[in-house]
Amino acid sequence: MSFLNAEEPSACDLVTDFGIDILWHPSLGMELGDNLIQLLEDCATGRKPLDILVFEGTIVNAPNGTGEWNRFAGRPMKDWVKDLAAAAGHVVAIGDCATWGGIPATAPNPTDSEGLQYLKRRRGGLLGPAFQAKSGLPVINIPGCPAHPDWVTQILVAVATGRSGEIALDDLQRPKTFFTTYTQTGCTRNMHFAYKVSATEFGQRRGCLFYDLGCRGPMTHSPCNRILWNRQSSKTRAGMPCIGCTEPEFPFFDLAPGSVFKTQTVMGVPRDLPDGVEKNGYMKMTVAAKSASPAWAEEDIFVI
Amino acid sequence: MNPHPGVHRQDSDEATRDNIARILSGGLETEWQTRADDSERFQAIVKAIRASDGELTTKLRLAGFTDHPITHFDLEQSCETCMYFQLHHGWCVLPELDLPVRPEWSCNVWRI
Repeated sequence: MSFLNAEEPSACDLVTDFGIDILWHPSLGMELGDNLIQLLEDCATGRKPLDILVFEGTIVNAPNGTGEWNRFAGRPMKDWVKDLAAAAGHVVAIGDCATWGGIPATAPNPTDSEGLQYLKRRRGGLLGPAFQAKSGLPVINIPGCPAHPDWVTQILVAVATGRSGEIALDDLQRPKTFFTTYTQTGCTRNMHFAYKVSATEFGQRRGCLFYDLGCRGPMTHSPCNRILWNRQSSKTRAGMPCIGCTEPEFPFFDLAPGSVFKTQTVMGVPRDLPDGVEKNGYMKMTVAAKSASPAWAEEDIFVI
Repeated sequence: MNPHPGVHRQDSDEATRDNIARILSGGLETEWQTRADDSERFQAIVKAIRASDGELTTKLRLAGFTDHPITHFDLEQSCETCMYFQLHHGWCVLPELDLPVRPEWSCNVWRI
């Protein structure tokens, strides 16, 4: 569904401008029943070339490794994925479920779920740690809950135009172009982060969401404040803390009762500090910044 | 609750600070020894304040206010360095407290 909301480029642009033939999609695909099974078999056996397999959703292995709890087109979904991945030029995992296993794989993981090439942060997954698609690339992970549609379409365009070799991946196989910076990068609340002015309620326009409301923007790799959602806004811009949904640990961060959207502290210091910041440095920076904060930082300066 | 967040009437705020200072120096027994060392304790204190009658002395007592900084595990926990303190308004913006305060005061829901 997120994919259909893409704008730069849009799902239509993929077809009209970049010549991508979308063989099947849950909402766009024309084939049903036996025709769909035939299409999938043709792709899996190589009768029909499959340049890119884009998969969304967790891989269900239960019960007992059979995958029978999630059947699709006449057989366990995991079997289709294995066969199609072996035939595909490139494999792209979309969303937390396909990348790391997602919410279904959260302990106790009753459906024995995993991602295509990871289970949370552990490499492996359905396809195994050594898997490479025919192109020589491992699974390209585009996490998020949901993944931003433009992250998806831009990667598809890179692959479709023969530039997949230029897609540098990080240590979790995420495209670096999207996942090197932080959610905080480009956040309109950065000045409040700098001056240590805290927001204490959702939707409040003044203040940083990190100090009290559990925002994970300084620790989460994503371009959510560079490539805006609906081209308009982001969680943090709207006053909603980042929930860290592009990291493998999601949604495990703060699920203890009473702790959701509340910064967890030890001796009054946030348990999780901004990436690369040490506790002593954080405290010194905070004291200095707070004492230097200007009066305007305590006001709602957004007039519309 | 301040009905106009960000708009503080400084004279009356200062009068309230003076009043709080009198209450604290006058021997109000607060639960200042119970520092919120972890999030669970923090939440318990906040929850107690939320469930209280909301009176000024109740807030001060439950939050463990003192009119001087408390040093806890080598951390000087003064309002001045607390994340809920607004330097220019001299205000604690923790919604459950929402009080005019002074930088040298302290309470046990301090966080940096």
